[in-house]
Amino acid sequence: MLPYILRRLATGLLMLVALSILVFVLLRLAPGDPIDAYVNPNVAMSQAEMAALRARLGFDQPLPVQYLAWLRAAATGDLGFSIQRNGVRVLPLVLERIGPTVLLMAAGLAIAIVLGIAAGILSAVRRNSPTDIGFSVVAFFGISSPAFLTAILGLYLFSVVLRWAPSGGMLTPGAPFSISDLLAHLVLPACLLSIGHAALIMRYMRASLLEVLNQDYVRTARAKGVKEFWVIMKHAVRNALLPVVTLIGSTIGIAVGGAIFIESVFNWPGMGLLLINAVDTRDYPVIMGATLIIGACVIVVNLLTDMAYAAVDPRIQVA
Amino acid sequence: MAGSRKGPTARALGRFANNRVALLGLVAFVLILAAILTYPLWWAYSPNQIDLRALNKGPSASHWFGTDGVGRDVLARLMQGGRISLLVAITSVAVSLVIGFLVGAVSSFSGRVLDGAIMRLVDLAMTLPPVILLLVLASIVGTGIVPTIAVISLLSWPVLSRMVRARLLELRERDFVVAARGMGAGMGHLLFRHGLPNCIDILVVYATLQIANAILLEAGLSFLGLGIAPPEASWGNMLNAARSTSVLEQYVWQWMFPGAALVITLLAINFVGDGLRDAFDPRSDLQ
Amino acid sequence: MQLKTLTRAISVAALLGATALTTSAAAQEPKTITGGFDVGPGGFQGNFNPLAATGGFTWLNVYFEPLVNYNADLTAIEGALANEYAVNADKTEYTFKLANETWHDGKPFTSKDVKFTVDLAKNGETGTVFAARLNAVSSVEMPDERTAVIKLSRPDAGLLATLTKLMILPEHALSGMTPKELATGTWWATKPIGTGPFKFKQYVSDQYVELVADDDYRLGRPKADRVINRYFKNTAAAVAALRAGEIQFTYVESDDVAAFKDNKGFKVIEGQSFVANYLGFNQQVPLWKDVRVRQAVMHAIDRQAIIDSLYGGAATEANCGYVAKQLVPEGLNPYKYDPAKAKALLTEAGWDKINGSKPITWLTYYNTPQAANVMAAVQAMLAQVGINVVPRVVDTPTYNGIIYAGNPDFSQFPLVYAGLQNGPDPSGLNIGLNAVQKPPAGANFLRIDMPDLTKAFDAALAETNPQQLNARYQDVCKAMNANLPWATMWVANRYGVASAKLKDFVWVPAPAGGPYNAHPEKWSIEK
Repeated sequence: MLPYILRRLATGLLMLVALSILVFVLLRLAPGDPIDAYVNPNVAMSQAEMAALRARLGFDQPLPVQYLAWLRAAATGDLGFSIQRNGVRVLPLVLERIGPTVLLMAAGLAIAIVLGIAAGILSAVRRNSPTDIGFSVVAFFGISSPAFLTAILGLYLFSVVLRWAPSGGMLTPGAPFSISDLLAHLVLPACLLSIGHAALIMRYMRASLLEVLNQDYVRTARAKGVKEFWVIMKHAVRNALLPVVTLIGSTIGIAVGGAIFIESVFNWPGMGLLLINAVDTRDYPVIMGATLIIGACVIVVNLLTDMAYAAVDPRIQVA
Repeated sequence: MAGSRKGPTARALGRFANNRVALLGLVAFVLILAAILTYPLWWAYSPNQIDLRALNKGPSASHWFGTDGVGRDVLARLMQGGRISLLVAITSVAVSLVIGFLVGAVSSFSGRVLDGAIMRLVDLAMTLPPVILLLVLASIVGTGIVPTIAVISLLSWPVLSRMVRARLLELRERDFVVAARGMGAGMGHLLFRHGLPNCIDILVVYATLQIANAILLEAGLSFLGLGIAPPEASWGNMLNAARSTSVLEQYVWQWMFPGAALVITLLAINFVGDGLRDAFDPRSDLQ
Repeated sequence: MQLKTLTRAISVAALLGATALTTSAAAQEPKTITGGFDVGPGGFQGNFNPLAATGGFTWLNVYFEPLVNYNADLTAIEGALANEYAVNADKTEYTFKLANETWHDGKPFTSKDVKFTVDLAKNGETGTVFAARLNAVSSVEMPDERTAVIKLSRPDAGLLATLTKLMILPEHALSGMTPKELATGTWWATKPIGTGPFKFKQYVSDQYVELVADDDYRLGRPKADRVINRYFKNTAAAVAALRAGEIQFTYVESDDVAAFKDNKGFKVIEGQSFVANYLGFNQQVPLWKDVRVRQAVMHAIDRQAIIDSLYGGAATEANCGYVAKQLVPEGLNPYKYDPAKAKALLTEAGWDKINGSKPITWLTYYNTPQAANVMAAVQAMLAQVGINVVPRVVDTPTYNGIIYAGNPDFSQFPLVYAGLQNGPDPSGLNIGLNAVQKPPAGANFLRIDMPDLTKAFDAALAETNPQQLNARYQDVCKAMNANLPWATMWVANRYGVASAKLKDFVWVPAPAGGPYNAHPEKWSIEK
């Protein structure tokens, strides 16, 4: 196991370097650099002034020099300073966004899992009944609705009209930190985020459970006189869960990037919003730093998932 | 002589035909497609015809779906937007189908080293947070139909290549493949004579579901201000108007119709895709 | 029986507890004003270094102060940290009498701080954007603690305007850091020290900035206890928060005004944007060389109709770069809407041979829905006379990257839709129109080289007699109107909406957010 892990980590490191080169090149290909983003076109600045600013930031160096300087610093853990927000170091900035991102995704996933599995089980058990059809319709709508539209409508309905939820942000500005405040801000975006996932989980659960309910051992359990409820809960569901778990696993992998639309509409301080803002303002250090951290997270999560599979299913060999 | 003599594809189509929900989806999609493709024949307004005297008018006898902020007819823009959205979606899916199949199939039929290298590249493509790729690529290539197709295709092919490779890996060791290679069959022969027929079902299901995804992605890109920019119409950039609470409240027709069109089209495509997946599933025969 | 009593007891206790909580919470709550101060084109979210600020001055003014500042009408420059100022005869010496004020950490404000700040602002290492603008400053003298004298090597009419943007910084807190450290230091966003009516409390990354009242502010303790600047991704989000009652003020797009106009709970603030919107003709492409073509463009666009329908009447038609009454002379060509005349002019100039109906890229950075509508309307009007423009909307960095590229590709921006600040100091247009301001020296990216216009601008900038200044700028206006370097469109109004609960709140939609004397110490909020 150990050599395997080490090998994966080594490949992972190489991939991170390749990733950073790729992002670096892409960023330089994009028109406009951070100084261009800084200047308000309505209040013009002379090009000479802009050139001076660029020189101070080192953008007049040849590209490979710039990249190597960044790489050298990154290797020592110094990811530089954000250009748009002067004085803020990139590493702490990125790290402090992981928490809210994980919080939002975890809350959204938790709601999605609970709703999806429950609805899936009910649908499968009452196959082709009004309940089943009703849930399926709702699920299809959930998969087919654009995330940004539901986010805007949800915000408008629940915050502006009904005033049941705050209109954005993670905490009330100026107020001391409290769990209830955090939860109040978390509820709406997490629920809206869960819609798409819940729908998908419900459909997978339903399909998988239907398949399992046809199996012999279920028929045996029923014949033995086990109560229907326990037949389903103890025997069927557990076996039906595997594809659903796979689905959840792959969702988590994507999760680290953040739910950009929800974060953008609700101004939730997660990775997605950080990246959107950084790309808008061509904040190179932040983009490079965030990509590095996200890439590292994805690689680690993939490694852990593969190891978990190996541990759970002895037929899968990883070495 | 009992037993059907139909091949697996014919059987699959038969199963599909029996699936009422999938048929409903197909019919709905065909209707939408027909409307979108033929609207100049039966609708007088053009999507870019501005009329400063008829701004933000609600649905009426002359403008069935109302007008937008510059007096353009919403129904015309809806139809035109549908053309653009579907064009972008279908083209990008076709492109990513080709790339994904080729990469996955070549990788699976190649030697260990090449396979490993290609798959590492695919992993790299998947590790890149889609947000970044989306935003950076879109700002590089700018707005417009061709750039949007490029961005969406580049985002979608890695997943397909993995699915194709997984399917074809089992094939690699089979006798007929070994025999074919022994006889000197080239990569092209392997890909198209053996690889492609065995992947048709994944490709078809993937294509259908990916069209839905691509429509959503294009809408999202246009919504973010990338993708298709006004004055070109697209369902996504028509929905951009809904950001402002005043439009959300006062000019409901400007966003509700594109939103509904989007949801209905996606529903139809999802129904069809679902039906196809069930149809191709060999275990569905054993009921 | 027992369960019932128990339930009753619990509910009573809960009720009492809840009431206690709410009353105690209400009693402790400080008077807080929350707003989206950096929303809209004048804002600059996340920038805390005043030396590097190209916008967002409205907010910076709440805790930093410059020596002098514009008044709230943006008509005159009055004192801020300097009580009064005097200029010598040949305009090479500005003497400032400094106010009696202490920094937020209690140390006294003296002339040493003024010298320190000006030196920092001229030192490129600090990331300052003022280095070029303060070129004329040769030295800063400190005859005593309450007086500072800025000496110039040559007269500079724009010095005072530049000084309004220069926030004075504490020498005792910053002199220990090297200029390079200052440029990337964390002081700005964690514990900055200023002299304004509110002092910095905390910045929660990307969410908000919190300031608390400075009790010993020289103009009186602020009426509010806290001011919070909330960050929003876009204006629509800020408007939603305003309507949900979570903030008391924000900039709004003109389309949003309708929702607030008849609402007693809100007050709509309207002001001139001081930004002249124009279609910019790229002088390096052959399309626009013939003045008749440029005139045709002016005649083809029905500016009044666009103003009436798309701006709701809240814009002023511009026939040169200015709309202020004292800067616009009599006898200007109004370029009335006349598509027939436009077509005739185009035929005269041989438009078919110059370009015909080939598409012309029309580049812009304005990405609001309103701007998109305006461009669509103009596109249709130009198409009517045979000019086929295709709008291309890009974001600010892309736009700046294209027009300021080292070797620009002129075919990417043959025509632009842009705006330039034309006030409160009318010399703001010089940087975009004067021949000597061609890049890299200035921002004349269209490479405009019209001798009449250049002469008029030079004369206006060199004018030392304030009585003659208006006449000089009228000449500039005449030259612009005759030569049409730009197809000037209008100067639009911009809007902010404040809750009716806010009293004595001053806000002006100034370009770059000001700065101007908003007197934050007077702002108050009623329950």
